[in-house]
Amino acid sequence: MAEIQGGGDSQGKGGKKRAKKQSTRVDMTPLVDLAFLLLTFFVLTSTFSKPKVLRMIFPEKLEDNPNIKKPEVRDAVTILVSGDDRIFYYTGQISNATVITEIDYTKDGLRKLLKEKNFQLLSELQKLQVKLNEADEKDTAAVNQIDRDVKKLQKESKLVVLVKNDDKATYKNIIDVMDEFMITQVAKYFVTDDGFNAVEKKLVSQIPPKN
Amino acid sequence: MPKVKMPRSTPSLDMTPMVDLAFLLVTFFMLTSSFRSPEPVFVDPPASTTEKEIPKQVFLVTIDETGRVFIDITNAAVKEKVLREMIADYKVGLTEEEIKKFIGSGPLGMRLAELPSFLAQEAEKRAKIAEAAAGVPYDTANKIRSCELYNWVLKSRVIADNDFRMREASAQEKNQSFDKDNYMQFAVKAAKNTRYETVKNVVDVLREARVSKFQMITGLEAKPE
Repeated sequence: MAEIQGGGDSQGKGGKKRAKKQSTRVDMTPLVDLAFLLLTFFVLTSTFSKPKVLRMIFPEKLEDNPNIKKPEVRDAVTILVSGDDRIFYYTGQISNATVITEIDYTKDGLRKLLKEKNFQLLSELQKLQVKLNEADEKDTAAVNQIDRDVKKLQKESKLVVLVKNDDKATYKNIIDVMDEFMITQVAKYFVTDDGFNAVEKKLVSQIPPKN
Repeated sequence: MPKVKMPRSTPSLDMTPMVDLAFLLVTFFMLTSSFRSPEPVFVDPPASTTEKEIPKQVFLVTIDETGRVFIDITNAAVKEKVLREMIADYKVGLTEEEIKKFIGSGPLGMRLAELPSFLAQEAEKRAKIAEAAAGVPYDTANKIRSCELYNWVLKSRVIADNDFRMREASAQEKNQSFDKDNYMQFAVKAAKNTRYETVKNVVDVLREARVSKFQMITGLEAKPE
């Protein structure tokens, strides 16, 4: 380790008394100890990644405003989220003859389904994205126009997805579904307040669990 | 044969570069790190692919697996004002010192009536009590407006709005730039296994207080190709 090297050579030689030559070296060990202690402390206590957030908008309660009618949805895709990580979907209005299909949370399940259903909007959005990449960043008018086009496309999107859950569904399930919406850029989706209705309950209970 | 004499000298090493480096790293970590705020419960949120970071000012609602609700306000000034109004409404007596303690004590997860006895405890005991607390009480259906959570949210929303407007006005007066995005937003942090019904009931209380935009806190997940 580093230490003070005393200038011992000059002592006892000759009769002359010289001023002791002090070395300028300082023992730095404690300093290093301290520095590394602090370093370890900060490395262990600091949190680097700030948590991320997923934005969710819940509509105002319907009771507050009786003038708002519940939207009539005809060709919607309804996703039924249930316990044990099970998830189902059907298209259109529910009736006893509706076919409810079980899917899963993998990329070949829900994501593939949503990509297929949202194919039209996705391909249009991709074209715009290419346009945006080609556009000059300084050309704000063009960039804004693309932005408006994106919003217009989203507004005119025909795909509507409803999400219903029963009392066994976990928070993770719903966030996973929301995340899939973000990935597949579904523009119109709603998480409904009321759970499964009687027909849905009956049809879901008829589907045997996988494995 | 004469022995080969090794020069006897204490091995000395110049440590200056190492110290330089060590202090550089210390400085870096000191400046970049933000400390984890004290949390009475550990909540593991689900992951998502979003890249949006949590806003600076939030009203954080934490929901654990069993459905207990903890609330926290990151803006200390707003937190103080809200507490003062709450204790006046619920007729809970707190000294100035206890109010100060409350502001530094992290998320709240108990009935307001329990606060005085809780704040009278020492810090170590407080952590244990906070851990075992039953959560901020909330209600559903027609009793929703009389529950404590509703009042906390409503008061916070109003006070944060006023605070935002005051900051805006004073910035304009002094001709300073003003960050319009720095307003209080409502963040929900729930555990993976929390039942969605529970989250929805809590969110319903907030919706009743006319909050409709929520930032759901999630962990980070890689974006798909």
